[in-house]
Amino acid sequence: MEVQKEFELAETAFTKESLPLRKNALEAFEKLGIPSMRHEEWKYTNIKAKLKQQLSLTTTDSQVNAAVKNYIASLPPYAFRLTFLNGVFHPELSIVPDLKGVTVCSLKEAFAHHTTLVEKHFGKLVNYSEEHFAALNTAFVTDGAFIHVQRNVIVNEPIYIQYFFTATDANAFTQTRNLVILEEGASLQFAEDFRNASNINVQYNHVAEVYVGKNAKVDVAKLQLEVSNAIGIHTLESSVERDGRFSAATITFSSPNTGTGNALIRNNVTARLVGENAHADLNGLYFGKETAHIDNHILVDHVAPNCTSNQLYKGVLNGEATGVFNGKIFVKPDAQKTNAFQSSKALLLSNEASINSKPQLEIFADDVKCSHGAAIGQLDENALFYLMARGITKEEATQILTYAFAHEVVDHVHSQPIRQFLCDKLKDELQLNF
Amino acid sequence: MLSIKNLTVAVNGKEILKDFNLEIKAGEVHAIMGPNGTGKSTLAATLAGKEDYEVLSGEVIFKGKNLLEMDADERAREGVFLAFQYPVEIPGVSTTNFMKAAVNAKRKHNGLEPLDAKDFLKMMNEKSQLVEIKREFLSRSINEGFSGGEKKRNEIFQMAMLEPSLCILDETDSGLDIDALRIVANGVNKLRNAERSFLVITHYQRLLNYIVPDFVHVMFGGRIVKSGGKELALKLEAEGYDWVKEEVEMI
Ligand SMILES: Nc1ncnc2c1ncn2[C@@H]1O[C@H](COP(=O)(O)OP(=O)(O)OP(=O)(O)O)[C@@H](O)[C@H]1O
Ligand SMILES: [Mg+2]
Repeated sequence: MEVQKEFELAETAFTKESLPLRKNALEAFEKLGIPSMRHEEWKYTNIKAKLKQQLSLTTTDSQVNAAVKNYIASLPPYAFRLTFLNGVFHPELSIVPDLKGVTVCSLKEAFAHHTTLVEKHFGKLVNYSEEHFAALNTAFVTDGAFIHVQRNVIVNEPIYIQYFFTATDANAFTQTRNLVILEEGASLQFAEDFRNASNINVQYNHVAEVYVGKNAKVDVAKLQLEVSNAIGIHTLESSVERDGRFSAATITFSSPNTGTGNALIRNNVTARLVGENAHADLNGLYFGKETAHIDNHILVDHVAPNCTSNQLYKGVLNGEATGVFNGKIFVKPDAQKTNAFQSSKALLLSNEASINSKPQLEIFADDVKCSHGAAIGQLDENALFYLMARGITKEEATQILTYAFAHEVVDHVHSQPIRQFLCDKLKDELQLNF
Repeated sequence: MLSIKNLTVAVNGKEILKDFNLEIKAGEVHAIMGPNGTGKSTLAATLAGKEDYEVLSGEVIFKGKNLLEMDADERAREGVFLAFQYPVEIPGVSTTNFMKAAVNAKRKHNGLEPLDAKDFLKMMNEKSQLVEIKREFLSRSINEGFSGGEKKRNEIFQMAMLEPSLCILDETDSGLDIDALRIVANGVNKLRNAERSFLVITHYQRLLNYIVPDFVHVMFGGRIVKSGGKELALKLEAEGYDWVKEEVEMI
């Protein structure tokens, strides 16, 4: 990537209001570059080798194709949605909510029309001076979604933010970004839905910043259900104030179907509990097949006292798929009476599949309850035999037991419509029709 | 229906069944009794197709087919049913969904379309009444948190759903209270017919008061050492196994 040259092209692509910040981020990225495996946080994910040399950060192709139309047609017709193709907003494919006390628009529009609000929040949760991909994203963001919910406003229906990839340019490296702000007592459910709707390999780098105000509630589902032949880097940063609740479910079904072996998904999900009595649920479910590589890096940062957090991650790896789980719990000196829980379980369905699982607890307060557990295993032979002894084939019995293992994570999704959606997807993925 | 000839089976290199022979005709009920550790469950699991059981010699013909060549799932679809001595708990899958998959697997095997939701529900209602199982149990995860007796009832419910030709009951009476024993036995009796055979493994003659067998066999050291009618069970109940043991040792 010739970053400097690309930036000259990108300068005018996004709003001029954002320029000073983007220039800072560019400078940071030029120092940081793409991380190598020598970097502690990228030890098991060789992103440097995976990303092509000649990536373009400024492609503008944004074609609608049949895959996109079909998918949109399959959604409930009334569902709120913001649709982006290769990072470009398509209002004609979107149903933007028009609700009292709620602002929903593209990030570009927000920079132009809600400048004060955006400038106060944009780039403030991600640490772009240290995070390679946050820096790159901040400098080169094409567009994304902006959601602001005013005090005590409850949004009842989920908003789907859809990122489709339809590009014909195999070198495109799409940079998208969401900014979500909830004022005190507000409530919102939304999904970030990523799909490769092209038949080529795609690369993208997505960042979301979510502000959860006092006593506000956010449920976010990160859906990575059709990310075959994708290299996707996701960053989700949240800060939760007093009595607020943030819950994120990251669901990855990565099954490369052309066997190019390029599927690589990295998720960085962070919840910072900055006000007393705040709560975070960070859950994840990932399925990897063939040569897929799925890396989940999670951090719950307990800054304020009396906060609680749960992490529940489950993975199912088949073929030669590899998984990485890194779950951090930081308890800062002031965060007394913290109650933090972490569980990571992986099911290895083949001898070649593997996972690197690492809990990382850093506790600087004395009156806290923290627990973590990790389990890596195979399917229970007795359960498999029990199902087969009733006439169910080994393949189907395996799918049923995988469903049993996985559904717990889906059950933890707070938003009922999103939970139902995921439950159906899980059955589809496992080809179960019960 | 079932013909077992000179069957020798090892588990972890140890011979458990030794030169075992048994013939079961359609419609017959055979009971097998015998001290702990003589290989009764090994026989049941071998017939059901558990992989850890290594058949060293012998043959098993079921409805004219070589049973030993089939995997466990195929045997079940062909009509073999094992009611487990220790039913397995499977959190996260309801008995309803489990039975939907099992019933449809069998239908597919017989060239039939899957049951639609309405017919399936009707079938569930019918069969659950047979063993007086409450509907709420069927929507719970398979056997999870069930009492010993509830698990056994669930086994017989599944048996009723799958309508097998050979029903192997491995100590289905153990852990049942008097009422549950009667309910389970009634359920089994309702399923008895001229085409369906039963192999009932039990330690207690009591069960055989309800499910009256055509034959009673005593198993010892991996083979049947004595066979008789239902009166043999009464004698065993009254006198224990010592006299059988002596008879065997004399030979
Ligand atoms: N997986 C195994 N590994 C080693 N030995 C085994 C295994 N399974 C069974 N056995 C042994 O095989 C023998 C027969 O066991 P089996 O369970 O068939 O007895 P059983 O007649 O059903 O006894 P019970 O009346 O107690 O149920 C026992 O000595 C048991 O320890
Ligand atoms: Mg036994």
